Amino acid sequence: MDLSKLSPKQILEIDACTRCGECLNYCPVYSQRKEEAINPRGKIQAIKRLIRSQYGLWARILGPRKLDEESLKKFSEMVYHCTLCGECGLQCPVSIDSRNLWLALKEVLVDLGHYPKNLDLMKNNVLTQHNITGEDNGLRAEWLESLEDLPDHRYQKEKAEVVYFVGCVASYYPMAHKIPQGFVKILNKTGTDFTLLGGTEWCCGFPLIGAGFKKEVHELIRHNIEGVEKRGAHSVIFSCPSCYHTWHEEYKSNLKLYHSTQFILKLIREGKIHFREGDKVKVTYHDPCDLGRVSGIYQVPREILRSMPGVELIELADHGEGCKCCGGGGLLEMIDPELGGALAKEKIKQIQATGADLVITACQQCIRTIQSTARRMKIPIKVQYITDLVLKRMG
Amino acid sequence: MEKHSIFYAMFIPSMFLFLLGLGFRLSLYLQGTLEGEENATSWRKFVILMGRGWRGFRKKPLWYLRVLISDVIFHRKLYGQSFYRWLTHSLLVFGFVATFLVDMIKGFTTGYLVEWSRSLPVFSFAHAFETGRIRPFLDFSLEFFSFLILAGCVLAIVRRFIFKPDQLRTEEEDIITLLFILFLELSGFFIEGYRIAHPEVVTRRVYMANFTPPSANNWLSFGGFLLSLFLKEMTVDPDFLWYLHVIPSLIFFIYIPHSKLLHIFTSSVTVIADRAKKKPLS
Repeated sequence: MDLSKLSPKQILEIDACTRCGECLNYCPVYSQRKEEAINPRGKIQAIKRLIRSQYGLWARILGPRKLDEESLKKFSEMVYHCTLCGECGLQCPVSIDSRNLWLALKEVLVDLGHYPKNLDLMKNNVLTQHNITGEDNGLRAEWLESLEDLPDHRYQKEKAEVVYFVGCVASYYPMAHKIPQGFVKILNKTGTDFTLLGGTEWCCGFPLIGAGFKKEVHELIRHNIEGVEKRGAHSVIFSCPSCYHTWHEEYKSNLKLYHSTQFILKLIREGKIHFREGDKVKVTYHDPCDLGRVSGIYQVPREILRSMPGVELIELADHGEGCKCCGGGGLLEMIDPELGGALAKEKIKQIQATGADLVITACQQCIRTIQSTARRMKIPIKVQYITDLVLKRMG
Repeated sequence: MEKHSIFYAMFIPSMFLFLLGLGFRLSLYLQGTLEGEENATSWRKFVILMGRGWRGFRKKPLWYLRVLISDVIFHRKLYGQSFYRWLTHSLLVFGFVATFLVDMIKGFTTGYLVEWSRSLPVFSFAHAFETGRIRPFLDFSLEFFSFLILAGCVLAIVRRFIFKPDQLRTEEEDIITLLFILFLELSGFFIEGYRIAHPEVVTRRVYMANFTPPSANNWLSFGGFLLSLFLKEMTVDPDFLWYLHVIPSLIFFIYIPHSKLLHIFTSSVTVIADRAKKKPLS
């Protein structure tokens, strides 16, 4: 077992876990499957045992023990059954950065060949077609077709100040098309000089990182940075929180990065967006994991909602740092859709308890997960991306 | 053999084994990869990490000190999660840190400076620690801080074995650790009580930590003083008592790097690293 996939700090973090079990109170997966091995403490103890068998005192004296395939298989199952919501790390009394630890452990498991094999298809799609669906990457901007008054440049200009990085899900999944369609209209209305990368936009690499294939992302990163720089842009906007976070963490560039909510708030503050009086509506806001806990953006979307006349924000029982994952994170949809669905049901229960007319969020994946589960449950919940509401209420 | 020599004959190898244990853990951590230094040797990684730590500390030493006190020793985050756990943890950590510091001060001043003052008058101030005004503070502090450890240990035992919250899983290691601490504390108080009850033990200089002359204010060592009331009639070989306390203490020391107690060091690193990292944007 090669520990070089982990950083010295991450190996130290494994020793820092005191098994206090605080994480158990917050792990959404453990709340559904009460298995010790699946919770963060269980996973850390399992890797500790594996490391001890390979690098412990006896292993150094007598040589490492042969890795037990069954234990590895079980360990892999547990590590991949994670939404990467990051709540365990946030609540950990000794501040173990567990989300990044899980990602590194996935890399170790990929190296050992112990990972869900259906991830190979996704990996292949990203590496060959440069998107998660495997469709022709030239079709990335197909969602533009239903826009009225499409300019000749089809928002794919040679030069622009800002690049709008749409992301795979919003580009290819019809259920999410409304997000870029609405956002483009806002950018247009506010006179923002922006461009899309269209067919030259490649997956940001997050799905590969989330699956443990981090070493494969360098080409994607290089290509995307080059694409933005070629257009002379100084800023990139993302509607996908995972793309946004991946750019922040993995892309080394001097570009200014905005999540769409940050950019909207900037436009509001600059006086470029005004809201008209609208119908009174009660909304609740679901904090996407990659935008909230992972990127630290909690107040920006709330500020936008509060600035809209007639919009009343009712918080979910668990909100902000404590917001529960909708079940759509960490590739759980590919690995255990049933478990993801169970988490979405819990989320829907919380939403219903607020009595809100509308659920607002800022992540296309959260919208897909909540909406599709609500449909299956025959619960009439309206879920909307925040910029759609902004567009609807703009003066 | 003289007690000092016996102690150091045991302490130095114990210290060596303790450091060896820590070194063993450190060598494991250094198998990890540092971003941007993928081909660095373990030693090089160690130097880089130490350099980073030192540069960070040098930039804002007061900030590090504040985090060490509020977030490591007094575990601010735990306070927000559970008062009971916070109290237990704080009593144990603060108790250990404070006892260690006072013990060092007492040992150094009364054990060494007083001796040296016989030839170097500049150290004559040390007599204040031995028989003068400072001595009662030392006696009381040692007793009080040790009592805090004992109280923390009892709270931990009550939580683990009586309250048994669902989130806890008790393993062998947890039992060993708690029993170890409990034994060291109780044996420490017992020895203190025996010393007070039997002044001849002090005269014979059986206990290295108490080479100091008998105090006129033994009651300040309240735990030991209370016990001494019951120990006057009891006769035990004081050397045996000394070994009974010192040997387990040294074994405990060696045990630290191989037990969950290692988190004393590792979680200090994780907490400080967490507080030092650039917080996400907002």
